[in-house]
Amino acid sequence: MDSPKPDQVVVSAHAVSKKFHTQGGELQLFENLNLEVRRGESLAIIGPSGAGKSTLLSMLAGLDQPSTGMIRLAGSNLAELDETARARLRARSVSFVFQSFHLLPELSALDNVRLPLEIRGEADSEQQAQHWLSQVGLASRAEHLPGQLSGGEQQRVAIARAFATRPDILFADEPTGNLDSETGASIVDQLFGLNAQQQTTLILITHDSQLASRCSRRLQLRQGQLLETTA
Amino acid sequence: MSQAVLRLARQQAFSSLRSPEWRALLAALLVAITLISLLTQLGDRLEQSLNRRTAELLGADLVLRAEEPAVLATQGAIRSSRVAQFPTMIEAGDEMMLVSVRAVTDPYPLRGAIVTEPAQHPDIPEPGTAWAEPRIFEMLQLEPGDTVQLGYSKFRLSHRLMSSPDRGSGFRSFSPGLIMRSDALEATGVIAPGSRVEYRQLFAGPAGAVATLEEQLRENLGPDERLYSLSADQPMTGRALRNAELYLRLSALFALLLGALTITLSLRRYNAAQHSRAALLLSLGLENRQLLLLYGYQLLFGWIICALLGTALGFGLQQLLVQLIGDLLPQPVPQAGIAAMSSGALIGLLLLTTLGLPAFYRLSQVSVVALFRETSLPSNIRSRLIQLLGFGLLAGLMSVYIESLTLALLLLGALTLSGLVVGWLAQALLQRLAEGFRHRMRLGSLLLLRIRQQRKWHRLQAATMTLLLTMLATLIIARGDMLQQWRTQFPPDTPNYFLINIQPWEKEPLDQLFASNDLSPALYPMIRGRISSLNDTPLAEVTLSTEQRRHNALRRELNLTWTEQMPDNNSLLSGSWWQGTPSEPLISVEQDLAAAMGVDIGDRVSFQIGSQLIQAEVSNIRAVQWESFTPNFYVIFSPGALDNLPATYITALRLDGEQRTLARTLLQQFPTLTLIDIDQLLNQAQALIEKLVDSSSMILALTLLAGLLLLVVTLMQELERRRYESALLQTLGATPGQSRQLDLLELLWLGLICGGLAAVASEAILWLISARVLQIPLTLHPLSWLLLPPLSALLFTGIGALIRKPLDQARCYSLLKAN
Repeated sequence: MDSPKPDQVVVSAHAVSKKFHTQGGELQLFENLNLEVRRGESLAIIGPSGAGKSTLLSMLAGLDQPSTGMIRLAGSNLAELDETARARLRARSVSFVFQSFHLLPELSALDNVRLPLEIRGEADSEQQAQHWLSQVGLASRAEHLPGQLSGGEQQRVAIARAFATRPDILFADEPTGNLDSETGASIVDQLFGLNAQQQTTLILITHDSQLASRCSRRLQLRQGQLLETTA
Repeated sequence: MSQAVLRLARQQAFSSLRSPEWRALLAALLVAITLISLLTQLGDRLEQSLNRRTAELLGADLVLRAEEPAVLATQGAIRSSRVAQFPTMIEAGDEMMLVSVRAVTDPYPLRGAIVTEPAQHPDIPEPGTAWAEPRIFEMLQLEPGDTVQLGYSKFRLSHRLMSSPDRGSGFRSFSPGLIMRSDALEATGVIAPGSRVEYRQLFAGPAGAVATLEEQLRENLGPDERLYSLSADQPMTGRALRNAELYLRLSALFALLLGALTITLSLRRYNAAQHSRAALLLSLGLENRQLLLLYGYQLLFGWIICALLGTALGFGLQQLLVQLIGDLLPQPVPQAGIAAMSSGALIGLLLLTTLGLPAFYRLSQVSVVALFRETSLPSNIRSRLIQLLGFGLLAGLMSVYIESLTLALLLLGALTLSGLVVGWLAQALLQRLAEGFRHRMRLGSLLLLRIRQQRKWHRLQAATMTLLLTMLATLIIARGDMLQQWRTQFPPDTPNYFLINIQPWEKEPLDQLFASNDLSPALYPMIRGRISSLNDTPLAEVTLSTEQRRHNALRRELNLTWTEQMPDNNSLLSGSWWQGTPSEPLISVEQDLAAAMGVDIGDRVSFQIGSQLIQAEVSNIRAVQWESFTPNFYVIFSPGALDNLPATYITALRLDGEQRTLARTLLQQFPTLTLIDIDQLLNQAQALIEKLVDSSSMILALTLLAGLLLLVVTLMQELERRRYESALLQTLGATPGQSRQLDLLELLWLGLICGGLAAVASEAILWLISARVLQIPLTLHPLSWLLLPPLSALLFTGIGALIRKPLDQARCYSLLKAN
């Protein structure tokens, strides 16, 4: 396989390993792990529980650091950035959709969507948040608190929040894990629809092979190795 | 099985040390036990020392004073002794001197000790001898072994009397003293009808017997009799120490309240954290009853650790404080009793039982279902009842501790009310501030939201810290500033010396001496007399309220004077001042006394002066400026009315710089008069107050520690929620700095507001003290305005930084996943 041009690669991992120190000794989660994701690509990472999918995701997003190896995110070598610079990079280029939505319960749907815009210091955060709430069909529920919304609605607010900053890369960690299959399907449609519309790079972690099959690439994480699979 | 529960409880008590909730609970208990133990031990030592000092001053546990000799037979364990005290002149060669003689029976005194030179002395002077104070030896130029003439008898002065209790009261105690045997009194012939003799009978014995005797004596007290006892009569320093003791109790109560609050909050958190553990233990086969036992044992283990440590710490700290205030107290200071030593631990146990058991009872009612889904703890009537019982016990405990239910309730009410007002005000200000910044900073709306969310905690934190800082600031400022200001407010010519016991024949040469030194103080004659009837009705039969009867002037002999002109510092309120010498005796009455007696212009008042009865008509009512440091009188007669009665004179004068040497000249030329140095008295009073304030500040600083602990526990209350918020914000791209800024600003603002409120409140209290108590003009204290807000902000942010450690970015995602 030819190497993609550097400007096309938005996330890459080279010879990445991750070790943990535990009471029982050292635990090696990954060793010599390599990965390249190109702009606009949608990638599914699948694997059994405990394989380290979430650790891999938090390293790729600059939340955690590898023990050895190099990770590049949106053109920057993460090892060369300090915590503040990594946070700024995240604010500028990265968004998340979580399994348990993670909306702040005391903020209205609108304020939850505004949150990352406020972190970036954007002036018209309210109008932008309104726009994204209408994109996910929740314009009329803007003032509702998360507790007043259904699970599916909460995840749609989380999707609006994720797209509001127009990220280069969107990490989605089991986005339908807490939803019934019907709601899950409509959420997935919305996620992929917005992804295509915004030309965002999507990195998706899931157990669900059907969901994984909607991505352009699939990687299996097993025993510390990433293997390309076909649908 | 119960052995197994005990073992599990012990294990849990120690393994729980890793849990911040259990640590906070133990810390709160430790601080409460330490503080209460410290304050109770200190209070106990103060009280013992105070009783000992008063007993030493009285020379007995109980003293009955009368103007006639009365011998009460004593029974049982009560010891008794009699004293006759009178002023008289003694002679040695050509020299004469006025002395205050005490003729005493053996044993004397009953409490305290007489110190003489040489130190060895019999219980009372041997026949033919007397003991005299050094001033008598100096004035009469005598040495021990020399003889003085007293009436018809001669006495050899065998010992210098260096100090002795029972010196008598009032001006009598200012004359140099001489002690002789009672059985030698008659032969001297100095006591004749009408002589100014005060008879005292001293009693001492076990506390119970003394109390019974006191009650009997008080019931049968004649009009000319007075009873002095440890419980009711204390010298000035005694009153100050008594107030200090009350202050200690109130501080302990405050510490108790803070402790109770902190323990309640930490228990709540600990309980919540134990919810699923308790359910797990149930699923493993433990019964609900055993669960209660398990947590009961665990509390007991925690208590044992805190009780031992807290009692030891309390003991150490009170030793330190006694060192600080030691020279205020008679040495050696008695050690605290066992009850006081163990009080902290016992009150701690009561606190833990009353607060802990209801909480753990609820926990023990948890169901295994809690393992599968989130359930809230059951709250049935029974657990409510236990909780109510707990609060009742706590209220009872406080009133027992304060020894007064009313005071405990008043204090509780005052604290709650001021806490509510201050807390509400601080929170409102904080919210207003956050609203102002909402659009001016990133995450401004999140900060505002958090401030709204945390409002009940902010109110509690602000109330506690503001009240503590206010008290601390008030004490410190009052100590440094106000006392000094009170002293300097007097005009520069305010007298600083009192001269009393001036004999009539000394008046003229004294006036000449003053004139040659450019001084012209007014000399007032002084005669002692007692009000005997109002408008021909004996005072005892006049209907007066208890409040009126309590007026000092109606209970004792008054110093009476006469003068042609109204003295300076007096102002006429009603009636008119007399001209020259009126044909009938007229009097001028001070307004408070007039009100107490219910007399007005034209009423007739009779006075018993020695063996004479003199009636006078009220001519006017006067206001007196009591704090003027000049001779002030309740009753002033018109000239002529008291002319034929024996009087001594009194005056006050100002001596500055070189003039101060005149004080020595006065004493040399007029050995029988008594000079009182007011500056010295004020210095002593100020030193006393400063020491008391210092120790109070130390105690308050320790109470502040209890307040800080409460702050710690309240900041821990929603720690998980904050960590979760931080994790989410950082995952969404907030820098660790931004996330810290949110925490910091919230606490910084709250700290600044509390400091500012404390500055305002302490100024208000100081203003009240200035205006009402010291009557000095208001001054502001800009230093406290400058220092209190940053100091308070430092406390809040410092503790905040300690509790809310920055969240490691690598943990953010796993924290979110775990949620």
